[in-house]
Amino acid sequence: MTAPAVFEAKHYKSELKPIWCPGCGDFGVLQGLYRALSAVGRPPHEVAFISGIGCSSRIPGYTTAYGFNTVHGRSLPIAQGVKLANPDLLVVVAGGDGDGFSIGGGHVAHAVRRNIDLTYLVMDNQVYGLTKGQLSPTSPKGLETVTSPLGSLEDPINPLLYMLAYGAGFVAQATPADMPGMTALIEEAIRYPGFSFVNIQSPCVTFGEEDQQLKAHKTKMKTLASLKHDSSNQLAALDLARAYGTELYTGVFYRNPNPPPTYEALVKLRQAEQSKKARPHHQLLEAYLQK
Amino acid sequence: MLDDLILGMAGAGGDGVVSAGESLLAAASSEGYHALMTKSFGSQIRGGESSCRVRLSTKKVLNPGGALDVVVALNWDDFFKFGAELPLSIDTIFIYEEKAGPPPETLKARGVVPKELIPVSISELTKKSSGTEKSKTSVVLGLLSGWFGIPAEAISRGIKKKFGSKGEGLLEANEKALAAGIEYAKAHPLASPHELARPKAAPGSKMLCDGNDMCAAGALFAGVKFFGGYPITPSTEVMQTLSKEIWKYGGTVLQCEDEIAGIGATVGASFAGRKSMTATSGPGMDLKTEILGLATIAELPLVVLNVQRGGPSTGLPTKPEQADLFQAAFSGHGDVLRPVLAPTDVEDSFKTTVTAFNIAEQYQTPVIILSDQEIAQRKEALDLIDTTKLEVIDRRVPTAAELADKPYARFALTESGISPISHPGMEKGTYLAAGIEHNEKGDPTSSGGLHAKMNEKRFKKLEPLKQRSDLFELRGNADAKLGFIAWGSTAGVAREAVELAKADGHDVKLLIPYLLHPIAEQVYADFFRSLTHGLVVELSHQGQLYRMLRMFIDVPKGVRSFARSGANPFQPRELVKRLIELKGQPS
Repeated sequence: MTAPAVFEAKHYKSELKPIWCPGCGDFGVLQGLYRALSAVGRPPHEVAFISGIGCSSRIPGYTTAYGFNTVHGRSLPIAQGVKLANPDLLVVVAGGDGDGFSIGGGHVAHAVRRNIDLTYLVMDNQVYGLTKGQLSPTSPKGLETVTSPLGSLEDPINPLLYMLAYGAGFVAQATPADMPGMTALIEEAIRYPGFSFVNIQSPCVTFGEEDQQLKAHKTKMKTLASLKHDSSNQLAALDLARAYGTELYTGVFYRNPNPPPTYEALVKLRQAEQSKKARPHHQLLEAYLQK
Repeated sequence: MLDDLILGMAGAGGDGVVSAGESLLAAASSEGYHALMTKSFGSQIRGGESSCRVRLSTKKVLNPGGALDVVVALNWDDFFKFGAELPLSIDTIFIYEEKAGPPPETLKARGVVPKELIPVSISELTKKSSGTEKSKTSVVLGLLSGWFGIPAEAISRGIKKKFGSKGEGLLEANEKALAAGIEYAKAHPLASPHELARPKAAPGSKMLCDGNDMCAAGALFAGVKFFGGYPITPSTEVMQTLSKEIWKYGGTVLQCEDEIAGIGATVGASFAGRKSMTATSGPGMDLKTEILGLATIAELPLVVLNVQRGGPSTGLPTKPEQADLFQAAFSGHGDVLRPVLAPTDVEDSFKTTVTAFNIAEQYQTPVIILSDQEIAQRKEALDLIDTTKLEVIDRRVPTAAELADKPYARFALTESGISPISHPGMEKGTYLAAGIEHNEKGDPTSSGGLHAKMNEKRFKKLEPLKQRSDLFELRGNADAKLGFIAWGSTAGVAREAVELAKADGHDVKLLIPYLLHPIAEQVYADFFRSLTHGLVVELSHQGQLYRMLRMFIDVPKGVRSFARSGANPFQPRELVKRLIELKGQPS
């Protein structure tokens, strides 16, 4: 066997130029992602990158991995199909808050409870950027946008509580304002053997609020480590996650210290056990003979 | 001696008439008869009225048949809830529960004056012979065995299989009830004997299965590795069967949270390089439309089974209809050409599913299979299908040499329109699949020129389908002046109608398209050439194939639509009658 090649961050970068606005938080996320992939070390052709629709959903095209930029809100079920069809792949799912928690919100609970080994990165910017500044499911109450010119009347979704409540085994929050921290969190999420989620506060420079820009993040963010949070404590994680929208906590909220077997591991066991009962190709129909 | 016998039974939900029909079918098929059974229920989940019709024959059975030869009614109220499902004629023999009294005036109002009315005190006979009323259907089976010559040993074997595990008492009661039924029939012979001839095939040579079974088996034969779906009547059995079987062959079934996730996971599995399938019915198809478009533009192989029921909306969930053809062919935005195939019976369901996978893989496209509730859920006893000549096609992946040669262009504009498709895991094969338009490499584009070229590619690659003679069935004389076109479950009725017409001295031909879309202009033009009069027969209000034909080709004036909504299947005799009437009119 040849020695495994070393993949540097640049090996994951494609030639396509991102369509994002200058200064978009997603540039930082993309850099962190290249580095995290390099740290994990899987060759690009063994990585499948699945996304929906939105600014951040363009991300698969900017990598040299296999990418599938699908339809709005369906990245999670599509990614589950990819992973179950070939469990040897490293499957990363990416998208925005609207894609994941509004149009695709119904799929989240099911992706979590199945515990298929996917890493779900949400670039949460509290606004619809691609369609130019409408209200998103994580927009704060009262926000004035083009579709809420008099202020929104509804409370935002709390992505962290959502994931924790359904029992996700790995839940973290990051910001590209802290590149090393975010990169480490993406890497840890990828390495977690089961469904993992990182909510990345990725500012929209064009339509986002002033207090949600990288500069503000730098002064606002508090690492969970500095709060002495024990990431194996699910209840403490739920408690801290309630501060979403007011505090910017970064780090691992929860990491299941004893990850249960993944869905695909259970599938493999079942296939191995059932394969003994397989019929030869041309005798399949004999099962229906009426004796 | 009869070669063909059609029985119908109706009763309340708890009466077990469907279960009796199944026993009859199992017994007949194990003996080597050809047989076919359809069932019909009220929409209640449990209880409510239920009915079944069983056609037994020494020859291949093409459809459920016309009017019933024999009817068993356990009560009249429930019996009359089934009109079209249990068609009657003046020759129908009526066996009914004596307690229910003679048939009400309703029967006469329908123009039926029964030749032979046989009241039997079924409940009393059951109680007296077995000590319980629970074994009522075994008495019925005994009566049918005695009067119509269905071998009692086979029925008895079936009863043992069914009740053997449910305790000595129940098994014994049913055996006694069966014996009592047989004895009663012997003691009271029919005025006109109706004994079925012995089957020509050997016992144990027949498969017993329904269309949904055969779609699942066809998928396994084709090498399906992933099925994502959501339960919906009347397609659910496909997912149920695969949930039991697919693991044996290294595959996975994912019961998804909704129809969209069902096709989503399926398209994901196909992107990952595996043969994948989803199954649904009308309302589910509505929801899957957006991702069907994704599979078209990303050129991903995908098989989508739609077991049609009555629509729109919830419609008639338990009844067949052929009204989803427009949807299968045209749903979704943008310029889309999507192959649509329709099996015509249970046996076809197997072959058509294999063909659907082959087309999907070869042409890198979603393929819709339009089955319907009747073929999907009717049980048939048929000869073991010979699979040795069936081909299985896999998608063309780029070879390692091709990938090493030059940078991979996933959507290369080739002569045929088909470009080799890689999948995650293949070195040097990485590309971006996307719903957004792309260049040859797969990179997103907003160029109108490229979009036009890619549309052309996606249409061009499917052209050869129209020339494939295996996707069309032609019967009768090529130069006949009269003809039928029929598809799906209606085709079986038309096949028999052609035989009936021939017996009456009419020269009638028949075209059955298994490929409904794209419309094979030349095949229809050739068929129309000799016709002065013809009927396009469909179980829908609009007659959707007829309208599609008019959209794409010149349909002669003498060729008309014969269409009506579902739940009222055509009968072979009425097709002949309508065609001959039409012949009398100027074309």
